[in-house]
Amino acid sequence: MSRGASIKVRGLCKTYGSGARAVHALGPIDFDVAAGEFVSLIGPSGCGKSTTMLLVAGLEPITAGRVEIDGRPLTEPLSDVGIVFQDHLLLEFRTALGNVMLQQQIRRLDRDEQRARAAELFSRLGLAGAEDRYPWQLSGGMRQRVSIARALVHDPSMLLMDEPFGALDAITRTQIRHDLELLWLDTRKTVLFITHSIDEAIGLSDRVLVMSPGPGRIVEEIPIDLPRPRPAHLGDHPEFARYARRIYDIFENLGIYRFHRDRP
Amino acid sequence: MSPGGTPAATRWPQSKPLQRIAEPLLWFAALLILWEALLRLLAVPLFVLPPPSAFLRRLVEEQERLLLHGLLTTEMVLYGFTAGVLPGIALGYLIARSRLAERSLYPLVVFVQGLPKITLAPLLLVWFGFTDLPKIVLTALVTFFPVLVDSAAGFRSIDPRLYYVTRSAGASWWRTFRHIEVPSAAPSIFSGCRITIVVTVTVVIVVEWLNSNNGLGYLVLRAMDAADTPLLFAILVVGSTIGVVLSYAVDLLERLLLPWRRR
Repeated sequence: MSRGASIKVRGLCKTYGSGARAVHALGPIDFDVAAGEFVSLIGPSGCGKSTTMLLVAGLEPITAGRVEIDGRPLTEPLSDVGIVFQDHLLLEFRTALGNVMLQQQIRRLDRDEQRARAAELFSRLGLAGAEDRYPWQLSGGMRQRVSIARALVHDPSMLLMDEPFGALDAITRTQIRHDLELLWLDTRKTVLFITHSIDEAIGLSDRVLVMSPGPGRIVEEIPIDLPRPRPAHLGDHPEFARYARRIYDIFENLGIYRFHRDRP
Repeated sequence: MSPGGTPAATRWPQSKPLQRIAEPLLWFAALLILWEALLRLLAVPLFVLPPPSAFLRRLVEEQERLLLHGLLTTEMVLYGFTAGVLPGIALGYLIARSRLAERSLYPLVVFVQGLPKITLAPLLLVWFGFTDLPKIVLTALVTFFPVLVDSAAGFRSIDPRLYYVTRSAGASWWRTFRHIEVPSAAPSIFSGCRITIVVTVTVVIVVEWLNSNNGLGYLVLRAMDAADTPLLFAILVVGSTIGVVLSYAVDLLERLLLPWRRR
């Protein structure tokens, strides 16, 4: 099984468009993710979280700065990676298993080995028995589990997740968060996790990078020192409350939240 | 570990196949009987409008000729249709995937699509003379544009973020095309084909009027020369049968190739 890869980002900037209509969307930002670390990027919409993820994956051109994966500068799309988006992006004409086996077909991997890995992931992700169902026959939570299986079946050393649970209901979200944590504990892949949710960021991460918009920057780095696996109900943990409070305070200081404390 | 709730497999209303076929047939028979009765009552001359009994008898008497010319027409339809569908899909793909192709070609396509292409038939005769080519070329033209527009829409409907997945997988153009793009666009392409194929029968018949000594269009001219209106109606029955059979064939092909589709 492949180990996690390290990520090193220095002076990374992204500008969309050019000339007078150019929009400076991101940066410069610097951060590191150690091999096997789980790091979240949290921030309001438009703070460049998704852009950061795409730049780290080598899927969008970098305007300035550099990204290094395992010490090597990134010059083309990273292939040793799995990506999960907010929408499951499953192909409606393939079964759950067929969607996962897409990786085998487009990456030209060994079929039997990939089938075995898919079977293992299906059982680990609670998808056993759903192999032959089409996406329209699955609930939203199961579709997203299939999407996670698709991102992991080729055993990448890095997992990039862009608000993967954003479209799910709160109950499903808690369960799938827990399942992801257990899977990560066993595999220790490097995870860059993008989220709006303070619960998810604290519940999953070794470190949380808090971002602010216009242009996107990293304003704070918060190591999360909580035992794993973390409880579903994080509120029981006094430490959790302190971390959450810290993030709320940062957002309030940035003017992202406006709490009306002066009301009687 | 428990997955989110699973929806029970949706059940579709099961209509009895016998009833689905029998009911329209009964209505059709009723219509023919009414037609027959009205013509007899009003004593309409045979060459103005024949009763069903007359043209159905003609259909049986002339079955050999009708079958021969019907098959020749069908052959032309299939050649022309294929010659229109394949470039239609190819150009639809190009327009959907290339901004340059979209900007340069699409406005032109929209304009040409509106042209009554049948008016080109006499010109095609000048170019290709007394051959099968005018039929095939005109059928291909009539097929090409709707299929192009529908397949472009199909290729465009692919979520652009799927290309992030394929690019990070290092997927080749061919594998992306085959495993993602073609099956994604296929339902749209098929709906374009299903609508178009019925029209193509008309197109071939029209060109056969102009330049042919075979095919249903040629037979139409012969029938009218002889004031044989019942034969004309028998040809109509054959032509419409070809259209229905071909459109069902497209349907069947779609069911075979796209078994995941729900209707």
